[in-house]
Amino acid sequence: MSGFLTHSEADLRDAAAFAVERAQALGAQASATARNEGSARIEVKGGEAQKAERDAHQTLTITVIRDSRQGTASTAAIDRDSIIRVVEEASLIAAQVQPDPEDGLPPREWLAFSGAEPELHEAGGNYVEALLSTALDIDRAASGASAPGGCSIQVSEAVAIATEGMWALATSDGFCRSSRYSDHVRWCLMLATDAEGSASEFFESRDRRVTGLASPDRIAGEAIARARSVLNARPAPIWRGPVMFEPRAAAGLVGELAGALGGMAQCRKMTFLPDPLGRQVAAEHVCLDEDPFEPFGLASGGFDSDGIAGSVRPIIENGVARGLFLSTYSARKLGGRSTGNAEGFYNLRLSSKRRGGTRQEMLAKLGSGLLVTGFQGGSTDSATGNWTRAVKGLWIENGEVAHAVRGVTLAGEIPAMMKNIVAVGDDLTRLGSVRTGSLLIDDMQVGGGA
Amino acid sequence: VNGGTLAMDRAREQLLAPAGLDEALIGRALGRLAGGGADLADLYFEATSVRRWALNEGRVASGGFSMRQGVGARAAHGGSVSFAHSADFREMALDETVSAVRTLARHGDANRHPDGIAIASAGAAHSLYPPVEAASAEDAAAWIALLERIDRIARAADPRIVHVEANVRATDTTMFVANADGQSAADVRPATVVLVMVVAEQNGRRSRGQGGFGGRWGLEGFTDAGIDRMVASAVRIATTNLEAIPAPVGEIPVVLSSGYPGVLFHEAVGHGLEGDHHRKGLSAFTGRVGERIAAKGVTVIDDGGIPGRLGSLGVDDEGTSPDRTVLVEDGILTGLMQDRFNAGLMNVRSTGNGRRQSYAHLPMPRMTNTFLTNGQEDPAAILASLDRGIYATEFGGGQVDIVTGRFNFTTMEAWLVENGKLVAPVQGATLIGLGHEALKHVSMVGNDFGLDAGMATCGKEGQTISVSVGQPTIRIDQMLVGGRG
Repeated sequence: MSGFLTHSEADLRDAAAFAVERAQALGAQASATARNEGSARIEVKGGEAQKAERDAHQTLTITVIRDSRQGTASTAAIDRDSIIRVVEEASLIAAQVQPDPEDGLPPREWLAFSGAEPELHEAGGNYVEALLSTALDIDRAASGASAPGGCSIQVSEAVAIATEGMWALATSDGFCRSSRYSDHVRWCLMLATDAEGSASEFFESRDRRVTGLASPDRIAGEAIARARSVLNARPAPIWRGPVMFEPRAAAGLVGELAGALGGMAQCRKMTFLPDPLGRQVAAEHVCLDEDPFEPFGLASGGFDSDGIAGSVRPIIENGVARGLFLSTYSARKLGGRSTGNAEGFYNLRLSSKRRGGTRQEMLAKLGSGLLVTGFQGGSTDSATGNWTRAVKGLWIENGEVAHAVRGVTLAGEIPAMMKNIVAVGDDLTRLGSVRTGSLLIDDMQVGGGA
Repeated sequence: VNGGTLAMDRAREQLLAPAGLDEALIGRALGRLAGGGADLADLYFEATSVRRWALNEGRVASGGFSMRQGVGARAAHGGSVSFAHSADFREMALDETVSAVRTLARHGDANRHPDGIAIASAGAAHSLYPPVEAASAEDAAAWIALLERIDRIARAADPRIVHVEANVRATDTTMFVANADGQSAADVRPATVVLVMVVAEQNGRRSRGQGGFGGRWGLEGFTDAGIDRMVASAVRIATTNLEAIPAPVGEIPVVLSSGYPGVLFHEAVGHGLEGDHHRKGLSAFTGRVGERIAAKGVTVIDDGGIPGRLGSLGVDDEGTSPDRTVLVEDGILTGLMQDRFNAGLMNVRSTGNGRRQSYAHLPMPRMTNTFLTNGQEDPAAILASLDRGIYATEFGGGQVDIVTGRFNFTTMEAWLVENGKLVAPVQGATLIGLGHEALKHVSMVGNDFGLDAGMATCGKEGQTISVSVGQPTIRIDQMLVGGRG
């Protein structure tokens, strides 16, 4: 066993299968997941470790179904006695709740008994020492950054985290598969201080393989550049017009769009895109594609927690919705077939049939207006699509950065915003499960002056 | 009565004895954890069980139970903390967890306490909440009936209500903490929250409303009157928002009603007064203690000792009894909230604000129940004073950037007001301000103080805990409202 895991994949499959057998012995159908994850996190400042943490946990969750009545129970200890206890608890709950005809295991023919399994794990070595030396390297590379007169740029924290995990799913239909993954994150948080006060900025790199991560020098360099860009911020005007979103902000908008196409949102009609299939939900040059099987993808998987595989497919094609994200439960409610999305969406990629251009070309298209670099709070009304945010950003004049802005709100309606996408930049960036370039969206309301 | 020897007996019976542990074994583990001279070392044991029931489409077809337990081991040398945790704390596993911390800390093999550390028997008793079992399996039928009643009264309240969801989550936590100074404390913490979400529909337009109600109690705390109030509020929010128009944009006066809108003070000053941000020099309030940051009449308090509140603690997660800390007194910044680690480094004492999400998380300075105290004004007069502005009665939550001090929060139920009269409800808008500036514009403080209904949570560095917020009705003369215009 390398790294942090305290169990083997076979242990997890055995634990899940044991739970299912116990439930079957009580005359029920069942599905069980067993998970084990471990990680180490090192935080450095001023050349010294400020925090060193080791995490290790496991969970077994059993769902018992009898006569369309369902009970769920979980335990953080996965010894046999604890498993027997939670199977009994789940069974007791199933006896107390009312039946729901849509509850229950998926039809056997939907299950991914075999099939493609994307590679998600890279074996690791001496993680803690390696993490410490990486975090120290980032801290060192980011220290002593130069700043314009009267300003300073200092390291707040340099962090390196390594995680290994795995999970297994067993069901009373004989399904029993497992999967393992690794995940590495490094970031550098900087403090930028000018005459008005301080602000923070950061740069993060995340990948399933150490070799896929940005180097400590690049992480420090990007973090310094971002910190420098927020110095000497000024208020923004109250203004209506086009707004450009950097990829890390744009990814949040893509997530909102995908969320509205989620099965539970559709079942409850708590979505600003009701009955969307075949309808125009975004500008006609915009496409959104899903790929569950990308090797080392941050949202890849061979099967969901119902045991069903996803597929490579278009979600939005030329602005028209072609797919929803369905679990067994939501598929039954809506009268369709699961798309294997019980855990949410897999890797998504937003693209455009129009040429977007480089960041600089995108800024030229924006002309004058707001470039959003991050969100600081706000909310989305899932029923109406009313969207309101506090944002961080830069004011652009004639395609060039004029100054950073502070105290800015931004508001719109997501359905209109998606139709008002003017261009998707070529600066494609992966942010967790979403890949997108910068987005240029017309007719947004900027509030400023604070 | 809770805490003290009662909680200690409960912890021995539920946590320690099943794992074969006693105070002598824990004292030896603490000795190893402290090694050759940690400035702070502690072991935190916890067992939690949770029961939940959920109603959807008129029936309770979903229920769940979960149980977990574990130990978190921490050692600090100067400003450097090492931490590891384990779900298993039988003697061998506890030894391994302690070894993991020593490896992380890289302070060698020394042990100043080869015979272990003598642990004092128990912390102080308290009567903030009873040691009841909130997550009892026996209560299933009563919980299901309560959720079904919520569905009935919500649908009966207004024919436009087309969808109702509700759930209850009851949690029992037993904790025991012991440190290398030989102090120990135990506590039994019940916590139950009922949440409701309703959807209203009219002429094809849909809107949602939500509410919650909870405290450190079990089923017995959920009176019909309390449930009725929660449902009525959710129905009112949903039906009000059916008529909502886009919110204005710009710097305008706002009136915030009593209760949950006190989240303003949690965000605008609370987070910025947590000791860790000051030790690191990161808070916009660093160096401002003693300065005027708000108008006279503005007094903000963090008090972990209010009976029954979800933010209350008999002892914090480091075994310290919580203070009533005055954060802002008559407009002057006065106090910080501390845990043992930061207090030690800043050479002050802990205020009992050391909290953690679970045994698997490091404690930090966190808020408990944080609120603006009562003023003199009649709330009706405060609303009547608004020539043109926003009157906000419910918020969806808030955030703050500690470094800049800039906070924001988003309305869930608010009205456009002209000449002191409600003109029309407005859609959700983000309100933003700067902690050390915005409160100078608080011009009126009402006499109708109230705390939230018992469902507030707070997130910090990825850890979520329960808190309370509160205030009387207030008027702020100038605030940036970011609507669609």
